[in-house]
Amino acid sequence: MFETIIGLEVHVQLNTQSKLFCSCPTSFNHEQNTNTCPTCLALPGALPVLNKEALRKAGMFGTAVGATINRTSFFDRKSYFYPDSPSAYQITQLYTPIVEHGTLVIDFEDGSQKTIRINRAHIEADAGKNIHEGSISKVDLNRAGTPLLEIVSEPDMRSAEEAILYLKKLHSIVRYIDISDANMQEGSFRVDVNVSIRPKGDEKLYTRVEIKNINSFRFIQRAIEIEVARQKEAWEDGVYEEEIVQETRLFDQVKQETRSMRGKEEAADYRYFPEPDLLKVIVDDAMYADICSIPELPDAKKERFVNDFAISEYHASLITADLENAHYFEEMLSLGISAKNAVTWLIVELQGRLSGGVTPSTSPISAVMLGMLVKRIEEGVISGKAAKEVLDYLLENGGDIDEVIEKLGLKQVSDTGALEALIDEILNANADKVAEYKSGKDKLFGFFVGQAMKASKGSANPNTLNEILQAKLAQ
Amino acid sequence: MQIDETLLQRLEKLSFLQIPDEHREEMIAQLSEIVAFVDNLSELSTEGVDATFAMSDTATRLREDAGSVDRTINDDILSHAPHSQDHFFIVPKIIE
Repeated sequence: MFETIIGLEVHVQLNTQSKLFCSCPTSFNHEQNTNTCPTCLALPGALPVLNKEALRKAGMFGTAVGATINRTSFFDRKSYFYPDSPSAYQITQLYTPIVEHGTLVIDFEDGSQKTIRINRAHIEADAGKNIHEGSISKVDLNRAGTPLLEIVSEPDMRSAEEAILYLKKLHSIVRYIDISDANMQEGSFRVDVNVSIRPKGDEKLYTRVEIKNINSFRFIQRAIEIEVARQKEAWEDGVYEEEIVQETRLFDQVKQETRSMRGKEEAADYRYFPEPDLLKVIVDDAMYADICSIPELPDAKKERFVNDFAISEYHASLITADLENAHYFEEMLSLGISAKNAVTWLIVELQGRLSGGVTPSTSPISAVMLGMLVKRIEEGVISGKAAKEVLDYLLENGGDIDEVIEKLGLKQVSDTGALEALIDEILNANADKVAEYKSGKDKLFGFFVGQAMKASKGSANPNTLNEILQAKLAQ
Repeated sequence: MQIDETLLQRLEKLSFLQIPDEHREEMIAQLSEIVAFVDNLSELSTEGVDATFAMSDTATRLREDAGSVDRTINDDILSHAPHSQDHFFIVPKIIE
């Protein structure tokens, strides 16, 4: 039996307005090289000046994971030669990072939990992008110098499932404290996975293989499973020593395999040394106080939802896992509807109708619209069944709730006068059944309800209908 | 530190530079001199000095997070690059 050992490195792009060491905007999708200046293009003499907001956001992450925030930290220079880095080095924090020794709790479906240790989180500058085209490579340095927070876990995860739970929680946290857009497709939440195996019971760590830049949770899970299978097979075939080497591998989604990214070159020599262009980084008292107060975290929000709204832990965790979802839910509640109904209509009815990565907040149904729909049910204006029709119609065509209700003719008749007249008619037409009912055949009540509903074309408010019918039959 | 042919080859590789044969000996001699000069620092006793000691005790300056950029500057820089096209820097093909 083998045990899987996983450690994760996540590069989170901090959502600042400007770059880490210069004022160039960090905005995505601008024309190539227009967000560059002498500093991020590493022209001789241009010096870095640290972005205050990047430091603050990095510190906030430390608070969120209960970590040590180093009031004094340092930048170091990591040398490497590649066209995406015009300076031929990256400014990072190797020896004393801003954040160390945090923890993150993951929740399993059965309600059990596990604590994953976070070794460190350090600030560093991102590189630019290369586009390869025939015999040349085009270099776009718009991204060069964008602030990153690299979050490094301890090798505490024992399965692909645990790794995904960790990543989803981490993703949720950085969104909640709003330090990053954390968009995997746009590359603002990048995951590197370190995987190794060992015979169960063995304490030592064997050779770890790094799988780089996988851009969805599903692919990460798959990449881990495939790499673990490769390592186990090598072990069982007695070729572990030869085949499993410490290297970086790439996950090929099409071929469903991991592949070595580099040839047998010598180990990279980064020649780290303290960054001479920057002095030590001090978090002063005012900033420290600021860093310590962060917005509500997913776990706290979940607990509050359970306590305040009496919804189940399971539903609360579904809603709070995603910040936009949680806001959506809170906005629905602001219309004064019951939390239980809001949960059902958000999770079962709306989410059940969405597919292809569309979320409630990106769907055509706004929180106010869905909340209003629930409100109309609670007010007795429409039935739950009719509300589903309204929702289907709105998803397809959009529009105003009340107008759609009117248009589809789904308004319930709660007007007692109209209902009474209708019921009188039915009772008169079925005098024999009324007599049978009065002589004790209770089951016939359903018959009268059915007849009345039918006569109202389904628009009668069932509660009102029942009340009137009961009153009349008791006469 | 001994600078020899092996180390020089390694330095060439790390710096992506090629030293012509006729300059190799001279380069080794000069590098050895530089290292020997810097080595004078080893005579200082650093006992009890924190590894993070710096000449200045002040903190690095912080900049407010406001974005701004001057397009004419990066246009100018690109026009001085050895090769550029469509506002891209152009480099020889990188084998990944």
